Amino acid sequence: MLAFELERPRSLQEAISILEKFGNRAMPKAGGTDLLMWMKDRLVTPEVVVDLSLIPDLAGVNFSKDGLRIGAMATCTEVLESAAVEDHFPALRDACLSHSDWLIRNRATVVGNVCSAVPSGDVMPALYCYDATIRIVGPRGERSIPINKFILGPRKKDMIAGEIVTHVFLPLPEGKSSGCYLKLGRRNALDLAQVGVACVAIDGKNGREYRLAYGAVAPTPVRALEAEKALQGIKAPDDALLEKVSALAKEAVKPIADVRAGVEYRLAMVGELTKRAIDTCVERLKEE
Amino acid sequence: MTKREVHFTLNGRSVTYEVEPRTTLLRALRHHGVTSVKRGCEEGECGTCTVLLDGVPVKSCTVLALEVEGRSVLTAEGLVGKDGKLHPVQQAFVEEGGIQCGFCTPGMVLTTYALLKKNPDPSEDEIRLALAGNLCRCTGYTGIFRSVKRAAELLKDQA
Ligand SMILES: Cc1cc2nc3c(=O)[nH]c(=O)nc-3n(C[C@H](O)[C@H](O)[C@H](O)COP(=O)(O)OP(=O)(O)OC[C@H]3O[C@@H](n4cnc5c(N)ncnc54)[C@H](O)[C@@H]3O)c2cc1C
Ligand code: FES
Ligand code: FES
Repeated sequence: MLAFELERPRSLQEAISILEKFGNRAMPKAGGTDLLMWMKDRLVTPEVVVDLSLIPDLAGVNFSKDGLRIGAMATCTEVLESAAVEDHFPALRDACLSHSDWLIRNRATVVGNVCSAVPSGDVMPALYCYDATIRIVGPRGERSIPINKFILGPRKKDMIAGEIVTHVFLPLPEGKSSGCYLKLGRRNALDLAQVGVACVAIDGKNGREYRLAYGAVAPTPVRALEAEKALQGIKAPDDALLEKVSALAKEAVKPIADVRAGVEYRLAMVGELTKRAIDTCVERLKEE
Repeated sequence: MTKREVHFTLNGRSVTYEVEPRTTLLRALRHHGVTSVKRGCEEGECGTCTVLLDGVPVKSCTVLALEVEGRSVLTAEGLVGKDGKLHPVQQAFVEEGGIQCGFCTPGMVLTTYALLKKNPDPSEDEIRLALAGNLCRCTGYTGIFRSVKRAAELLKDQA
């Protein structure tokens, strides 16, 4: 790793002013599980690393009647062990559990996964399904932006030098809901997704509503809005409908071939995992 | 880059190391003779560098040494009793053949120790899930899973 200076600010204000002062030469660090590996490989070469771990405002997972606030320093372990996440955001719980392994999850943050903005980021499809918003502070004050506007492309996000994501906010689904995240990797632990599918089903005021989001099969995570529409209001989709929905889902994605899988395989798996994810959500809602 | 001091508790004792900002906890520990912490991949994949940070198992190659300021680090050295007696978790690995070359063993033992603190009676699945980040190239894991179950028994007898 190239040499760098480490700053450990104790307040947001201090962190912002350091980041602003050094501009592109500085990078924030949460768990460091991506950042330190990228620095080792010299994919990024910051002169100043700003460790966010001592800033009290960024800690923890908080639940209120409006929804869930995941602080920038909340680890995947903290999120998946939160009772509110288990009760109200099961797709996010599944996603955190599919991430790496216990030891990495004890360091890696949910917000860091979003900020890395890699297409295979495991927590993102669930956050897309739950309509998460990203809360940011910076030299020009605070702002809030939907996750699908925040993520612009592989490793590209809508952020300027000096800005820090303070937390992500997930509104509470309006109605009884179920959810899941299905990840296809080459093995069970420590693997990036070849395809990741998050599904959420909500019994809201307009009847049953579904949300489907995909990771690792397009430059950014994507929602399959047409597929969602086709399912609207239907509590027990039959095989013909599931076929149609899985075809619509395949149209929503744009996979590439890489070392982990080819295009055809990824498309076939998008279709299959879509059906399984919907089934899982439908079953989980029946059980309750 | 100039070196800075980091003060922390290592296996129950206060220590001060001088490190560069880029020095990982893994490298700092090994440099200071704590060689149970093994340097494997240095990419967070293999788990041979596992330590407990305030009781939580982490891979020390993903932690900067300066980040442990004021915190507590436990390594396999710290599990051994003052009289040189192995900790029940270590004893279980010896008895059940959870060790072949031994390279993964300190990490396995620490993750097992942390698991059993959290969950004294883990199921087979829970054991597999907990150890998923500690790779072993020798044993094929069955001996290791047996060791974890044995360790759980030994700790229960002790309590
Ligand atoms: C062994 C291993 C296995 C892995 N397995 C998986 C896996 O299964 N699934 C998966 O999705 N990922 C995986 N990863 C990647 C990585 O662990 C995740 O992306 C992780 O969630 C990133 O979080 P972090 O806190 O470590 O981020 P960091 O490394 O600290 O930061 C990542 C990026 O985000 C920026 N950043 C972080 N926090 C903020 C903030 N609050 N505001 C602004 N910018 C910020 C940093 O500057 C950096 O560019 C793995 C990594 C390793 C080393
Ligand atoms: S050396 Fe740290 S995980 Fe391999
Ligand atoms: S005993 Fe050799 S790597 Fe596990």
